[in-house]
Amino acid sequence: MSWRGVLRILGILLMIFSGTVLPPILVSIGYADGQHWHFVYTGLVILALGIALWLPLRKADADLKIRDGFMVVALFWSVLGVLGSLPFLFGLHLSFTDAVFEAVSGFTTTGATAIVGLDRLPPSIPYHRQQLQWLGGMGVIVLAVAILPMLGVGGMQLYRAEASGVTKDEKLTPRITQTARALWTIYLGLTLICALAYWIAGMSLFDAIGHAYSTVATGGYSTHDASIGHYDSPLIEGIAIVFMLLGGINFALHFTAWHRRRPWAYLRDPEFRVYLLLAVGSSLAIAAVLTLESTYASAGPSLRHATFQVVSILTSTGFGTAIFAEWPLFVPLLLAVLSFIGGCAGSTAGGMKVVRVMLLFKQGERQTVTLLHPRSVRFVKLGRRRVPEEVMQSVWGFFSLYMLSVVVLTIGMMAAGLDLESAFGAVVATINLLGPGLGEVAGNFATVNDAVKWMGVFAMLLGRLEVFTLLVIFTVTFWRP
Amino acid sequence: MQAGIILKILGILLTIFSTTMLPPVLVGWLYGEASLLPFLNAFAILLSVGLLLWMPLRCVRRELRLKDGFVVVFLFWVGLGLSGALPLYLSPEPSISVTDAVFESMSGLTTTGATLLVGLDELPKSILFYRQQLQWLGGMGIIVLAVAILPMLGVGGMQLYRAETPGPVKDNKLTPRIAETAKALWYIYLGLTVACATAYWMAGMNTFDAISHSFATVSLGGFSPYDASIGHFESPLIEVIAVVFILIGGVNFSLHFLSWRSLSLAHYLKDAEFRAYLLVLGTVATITVAYLTLTSIYDDFWTALHNGIFQAVSVGTTAGFTTASFHEWPGFLPVLLLFASFIGGCAFSTGGGIKVIRVLLLFKQGSREVMRLIHPSAQIAVKIGRKPLQDRVIDAVWGFFSAYVATFAVIMLALLASGLDQISAFSAVAACMNNLGPGLGQVGANYADVNDFAKWMLCLAMLMGRLEIFTVLVLLTPAFWRR
Repeated sequence: MSWRGVLRILGILLMIFSGTVLPPILVSIGYADGQHWHFVYTGLVILALGIALWLPLRKADADLKIRDGFMVVALFWSVLGVLGSLPFLFGLHLSFTDAVFEAVSGFTTTGATAIVGLDRLPPSIPYHRQQLQWLGGMGVIVLAVAILPMLGVGGMQLYRAEASGVTKDEKLTPRITQTARALWTIYLGLTLICALAYWIAGMSLFDAIGHAYSTVATGGYSTHDASIGHYDSPLIEGIAIVFMLLGGINFALHFTAWHRRRPWAYLRDPEFRVYLLLAVGSSLAIAAVLTLESTYASAGPSLRHATFQVVSILTSTGFGTAIFAEWPLFVPLLLAVLSFIGGCAGSTAGGMKVVRVMLLFKQGERQTVTLLHPRSVRFVKLGRRRVPEEVMQSVWGFFSLYMLSVVVLTIGMMAAGLDLESAFGAVVATINLLGPGLGEVAGNFATVNDAVKWMGVFAMLLGRLEVFTLLVIFTVTFWRP
Repeated sequence: MQAGIILKILGILLTIFSTTMLPPVLVGWLYGEASLLPFLNAFAILLSVGLLLWMPLRCVRRELRLKDGFVVVFLFWVGLGLSGALPLYLSPEPSISVTDAVFESMSGLTTTGATLLVGLDELPKSILFYRQQLQWLGGMGIIVLAVAILPMLGVGGMQLYRAETPGPVKDNKLTPRIAETAKALWYIYLGLTVACATAYWMAGMNTFDAISHSFATVSLGGFSPYDASIGHFESPLIEVIAVVFILIGGVNFSLHFLSWRSLSLAHYLKDAEFRAYLLVLGTVATITVAYLTLTSIYDDFWTALHNGIFQAVSVGTTAGFTTASFHEWPGFLPVLLLFASFIGGCAFSTGGGIKVIRVLLLFKQGSREVMRLIHPSAQIAVKIGRKPLQDRVIDAVWGFFSAYVATFAVIMLALLASGLDQISAFSAVAACMNNLGPGLGQVGANYADVNDFAKWMLCLAMLMGRLEIFTVLVLLTPAFWRR
C-alpha cells in the first residue's frame, strides 16, 4: 500500500473540507448567535491538519491502486466524521461520544440523533448538522456511482461500464473527478429546486434550505424535534416525498435522463420500476392496516402518514411525521424490512439496495427451477443483460456479511444493556442509515449508553461503506504485501 | 407427475405407521390405564385408510421421478403429521383441539419439541410415551430424508454429498439405493438409542423415563414426560449423558457409519464440518458460562458451568431440552443461544437449523469475496478439506440461505399480524423453523397461549425447516405443475 499517496489525498480532502465551515460562520453572524468562533476554530484545526498531511507529501505519486482506494474511502468517512464533531464539542459542550455519534450520523446521511431540544439551539449548529448531511450525500454519490463499482464491492462491478468507460488499469483518480462534477451538478440542482419548493410551501428560508439539504441527501436530520411533523402540512410532506424518492434513485440514471435528455430512461430501468412498485405497494398495504386497526380517524390521514413513512424509510431518510414504532401489529417490522431493502444503487440511500435484493430473488427463482431441471443451464438477467456469476457471488457475499453484521451488532448492543427490540431497532436504524429505530431508540439515541453509541457509529460506517470496504481493511490479506 | 404411484407409497407408509399405535397400547396396559381406545381407534382408522389407498393401486409399478420425489417427501411429512395427531385428539386426557393436536404431533415428528401441553407429569403414560415415540420415528425419517433423498433432489447444495453415497445416480430413479443406506443408518440410530437408554437407566432413571428420554435425545427432539424436562432429575450425571448423546445425534450420520465400519475415530477428526461444529458449540458454551458466572445468576461456579454447557449444547444443536429456564437468563444470552440454533447440527444428522456445513461454506465464500476485492483478477476456489467445490453447489447454498431468511421474515410478519409481540414472534419462528422447541417471551415455557392462526403458521415453519425450505417452495412454483 502506498501510505504516502493515501495521506496526501486525505490532506487535500481535509483542506477542501475546512472550507465548509464558512457557511455556518455566515449563518452564525447573520443570526448573531455567538457561535462563529467555534466554527472558525473548527476550520483552522481541519485546515492545519490537512496542510500538515499534504505539505510533506505534496510530491508523492498521485496514482492510487485498489488497496489504497479502500483505505482512502474508509479514512475519508471516519476522519471527516470525527472532525465534523468539533462544533458540537466547542459549541454545545456535548461529550466526545455524543459529538462523534452526531457527526458520523450526519456525514453518513443516517440521521440518528443524540440531541434533544433542537428547536432551542443557536441556529448555526442545526445548520451545520444539515450541511453535514448534504456534504455526506455529495460524498456518497461519488462513492456509489464511481468508486464502489471500480473497487468491485458487493456486486457493484455490474455498474462499472456506466461509470463513464470501462477501466482496464487500476488507476482510480482521473475519471472520478469527471464523474463527480457531472453528478454534483444534478445534486445541486435537485437541492435548489427542493429548497425553493419548501419555501413556497411555507417554510422559512432557513428551514427550507436546511430541510432541502437533508431531503435530497436522504439523511433525515431536521431543525425541529418534531421533524417534518412540525409543520403539519400535507403540501410540505408531499414535496418531501417527491424529493426523497428522487434522492433514492441511481444518480447515474438521473445523469442519463437529464444530460442526454432521455426521460424515458427511468421507466426502462428495472431497478427503478421495482423501487417505485415497492414504495406504492407498501404504502397502500400499510394504509389499509392503519385504517382497519383505526390508528387514525379515517382512511385519509392513514394514507398520508403511511405514504410518508414508507418513502421516508425505504429511502432510509428517516424523517418523522409519526412514530412508526408505535404503529400496530407487524407494521413496524415490515417497515424495518423495507429499510433493509433501501433505495437504488448509486443513490444517497442506505440499506442493501433494491438491485441486490432483485438479484437475490432472481437467483432464488433460478434455484427452484434448477431443482426441477437439474441439467439445465440458466442465467440471471437484469433487464436484458446477463449478470455474470462473479457479480452474483459478490451479491451473495454482501448479503450474508450484512446479515452477520446485523446479528453480531444486535448481540453486542444487548450485551451493552439494550433489550432485544431496542437493540434490533438500533441496528436497523444505523446500519441501514435510517435514523429512528424501535423500542428505546424509536425517537432518538439520547438515552442509550456510550458503548451502544460507539457500536452505532461503527454500524453507520459499515452501512455507508457497504460493509466490505470497511471490513476488508481488518483482514490479514489486506496488509500482506 | 404420477399420482398413482405417489398414493400407493403414501398408502404403504400409512399402513406401516398405523402399527406404531401399538407400543403405546402396551405401555398403557402395563401401567393399567383405562383408556386405551384412542390408540386402538387410531390404529384401525389409519390401517384402513392406508389399505384403502394401497389395495386398489398395488399393481401400479412405475419408477419414481424427480418431481414425484418432492411430492412424496412433502406428503409423507404432512400425512404423518396429521395422522399422528389422531390419538392425541381422540384421547380424553388431555382434551385438546384439532389445531393443538396437529401442532403437538408435527412438533414431535419434525423433532422440534415445541409443546403446548402443560401438566405433563399428570398425563397418562401411554400418551407421554407416544409423544416421545413420535420424535424417535421423526428422527428415523429425517435420517433417510437427509442422507438419501435430499441429496438426490439436490436441495440446498446437498448434492455435494451425492457422490459419497454409494450406488448409481446417473438416472432419475430414486428407489433402489434408499433402502440399503437407510438400513445401515437405522442400525446406528437404534444402537445409539439403546446405548443412551442404558446410560440413563444406570444413572438412575426408571426404565420408562430412560427409554422415553433416549428417544427424544438421539433424535434431538426435546420432548420430555416432565414439565421441567431434564431439569426434573437434578442430576449432573444425567445431564452429562444427555450432552454426550445430543452431541452424537448432531453429527453427520454417514460419519458415524464410516467410523463404525473402520472402527476408528480418525474420520471424525478429519472432517471439516465436525471440527467447525465442535468449535461453534465450544465457543457458545464458553461465552454462556462466562457470562453466567460474571453476572452471578447462580450461587456457585459449578451450577453455572453445568447449566451453561447443557443449554448451549441443547439449544445449539436444536435439541431443546432444558435444565434451566434460559429464556429468563439476563442480557444477550437467550438471543445468542437462539442465533446459535440457526447454525444447528451437522448435515445428515437429526439436528435442525441451517446446518454447520452450509454456514462453513457461506463463511468460506465470504472470505473468498474479500480476497477477490484485494486481488480482482485472482482465481480462487472454495474448498472443504482439500476438495474444491463447484460453483453450482455454492450457488445452491446461497439460495438456501436467502430462502431461509426470507421464509423466516414472512412467517414472522404473519405471527406479528396475528397479534404476538415482537420477541415472542421472533423466537417462536426461530424455535420452530430451526426445529429447536422452546422460545422466548410468551413462548418461553410452552406454546399454550398462542392463538390458533399462529399455531398453524408455526406448523408450517416446522415443516419448512425440516424439509429444508426448497422441498416445500418448489411445490409452490408454477413450473412444477407445468407438464
